[in-house]
Amino acid sequence: MLDELRQTCRRLLKDGTVQAVIGYGRPSPDDRVVPVFLTKPEEADRLAWDDQCFANLTKYLSRKEVLTLGKRAVCVKGCDERALLVLEKESQIDRSQIVVIGLACDGVGQPRLAKCSSCDVHAPRRADIVIGRATMPDDVATAAGRYAEIEEFLTKTPEERMAYWKKELSRCIKCYACRQVCPMCYCRQCIVDKNRPVSISTSATLKGNFAWQIARAFHLTGRCVGCDECTRACPAGIDLRLLNLSLAKAAEETLGFRAGIDPDKEPIIGTYSQQDHEEFIQ
Amino acid sequence: MNDLLTTKDLIQLIEMWIGAGRRVAGPQCVNADDSHGKNNLIHYSWLTRAGDLQLDEFVRPTNSIKEFVFPRHEILYGYRFKGKQIELVPSELPTTEQIIVGARPCDAAALDILDAVFNWDVKDESYNCRRLLTTIVTLACKEYDEFCFCTSVGSGPCDERGSDVLLVPTDGDCYKVRCLTEKGRRLFAGATAASSEKAAEPQGPPVRFNLDALGEFLAGGYDRPEWSEVTRRCLGCGACAYTCPTCHCFDIVDEGGASGGVRARNWDACQFTMFTAHASGHNPRVDQLQRQRQRIHHKFQVYPDKFGEILCTGCGNCSRNCPVDMGVLPVLKRIAARQ
Repeated sequence: MLDELRQTCRRLLKDGTVQAVIGYGRPSPDDRVVPVFLTKPEEADRLAWDDQCFANLTKYLSRKEVLTLGKRAVCVKGCDERALLVLEKESQIDRSQIVVIGLACDGVGQPRLAKCSSCDVHAPRRADIVIGRATMPDDVATAAGRYAEIEEFLTKTPEERMAYWKKELSRCIKCYACRQVCPMCYCRQCIVDKNRPVSISTSATLKGNFAWQIARAFHLTGRCVGCDECTRACPAGIDLRLLNLSLAKAAEETLGFRAGIDPDKEPIIGTYSQQDHEEFIQ
Repeated sequence: MNDLLTTKDLIQLIEMWIGAGRRVAGPQCVNADDSHGKNNLIHYSWLTRAGDLQLDEFVRPTNSIKEFVFPRHEILYGYRFKGKQIELVPSELPTTEQIIVGARPCDAAALDILDAVFNWDVKDESYNCRRLLTTIVTLACKEYDEFCFCTSVGSGPCDERGSDVLLVPTDGDCYKVRCLTEKGRRLFAGATAASSEKAAEPQGPPVRFNLDALGEFLAGGYDRPEWSEVTRRCLGCGACAYTCPTCHCFDIVDEGGASGGVRARNWDACQFTMFTAHASGHNPRVDQLQRQRQRIHHKFQVYPDKFGEILCTGCGNCSRNCPVDMGVLPVLKRIAARQ
């Protein structure tokens, strides 16, 4: 599979289809897998593919430092690929200008990350080129499985849940790693960076941390694709996945919507219906 | 002859400090009691009982001890509006003695380095107050990981800088106690036993890059191609700076309402776009390459030029906590490997 990936990328760079490939690679054999940006065909040998390929590389599509490289190909796992659909629906990317290389994936991490246990997108579905074949089946994943962790969490009393979040969010240092790794956080100016006037306290106090994480979660409702990069990135070990799951569950249960799954469905934030039963919409 | 202390006696001693009303912090697992998040996350944090202290079987906490002398949020003073007058409300400085036990040498040395900048043109009142109230009991490192590079920046697993006491683990269940300051001596007076047991000093990680060659590179101009190549994957968060024991940049913010509020100082980080944004809208550092280059230059050229010491102790937290495995070490290794 790795040979095929390298050959494909070599070809894309050689025939000028793209000027850059955003992929996974090891700078040297002992290094960890990191995002790499290839611009020459001979660099394709640096590409890696294994269960340590964590990053959601679609984030780099909106990064200035990568935009300057020219027309790009991006490597995506099935979960990462969902972000592309949301970005396309939100007019953030021109899909015709990006070559999407889908990597069939049986899960990442040792042990596997939490998101992998309920994955139903092992093989990318909308990629221009799909490499490999996933051996894990997609059809065993159910809505019940997707939300098992949040269901379990919701069995706690409101007091217990509040105590949990107070303890967890007290460790937030506002490094904004959660925001910076998120493909959906592409705002030119984030609401926490607005200082004329200040919208959200920039202080890493319990109050400021609640304000930030609640604002972040709300802004991701119906948009978060569950790649869990925020959770992986958090140096304070806060399980942001729980917040995301809670809102994803609400979107699926009340509106039958899952972000980045169905290209025929319009985003729930950004569309409205005149038949909506809420009065304010009419 | 050495002054020795068993692990059991050390824990008892710490229990006594806590009992005597001192605030004691040290490495402990901060998320053991839940199944979510990263398992076994070890942070320097306040201890309610000595038994919670983690002394071994991990390399180092993922945060740093700087927050005990330079908190991430600190109220400088309050203000109240009284008619057309503004009344300032002084903020109270802490008065309780605090002990950090189990600090890593790379954390303790960092405070020694930070003393220079917090006492440069203005003597920073709250930093110095907390620093005076703090006693640092450092634990020499038996273990290291792929991120550690203390030995490449002139430090090492037994570095005494910034510590009041250095504990060196012995082969038995003991620590060799090296009291380095009066504060440290007071803390351990009468607690140790003389012994002839030998403790082999740990050696630490191999040297990973040549510091002298780095100096030449940094002096050689801003437009080297290595910068864009190695910094492109940086996503611009502050995980490196906030978990770094030496990064010390801060922002001053006013928080309040119509009747008054507080002026506070919050950590800030040079990797954020907003860090250099001018009120005019102009931003002199336009991309991540420039922000990363700034971080390395500040640590390895600007700070040493001004204060005589590198602003890095090689703890490796910047890489350990980086979502895309960057931080100082990969950049310096890339620079060192250049043709």
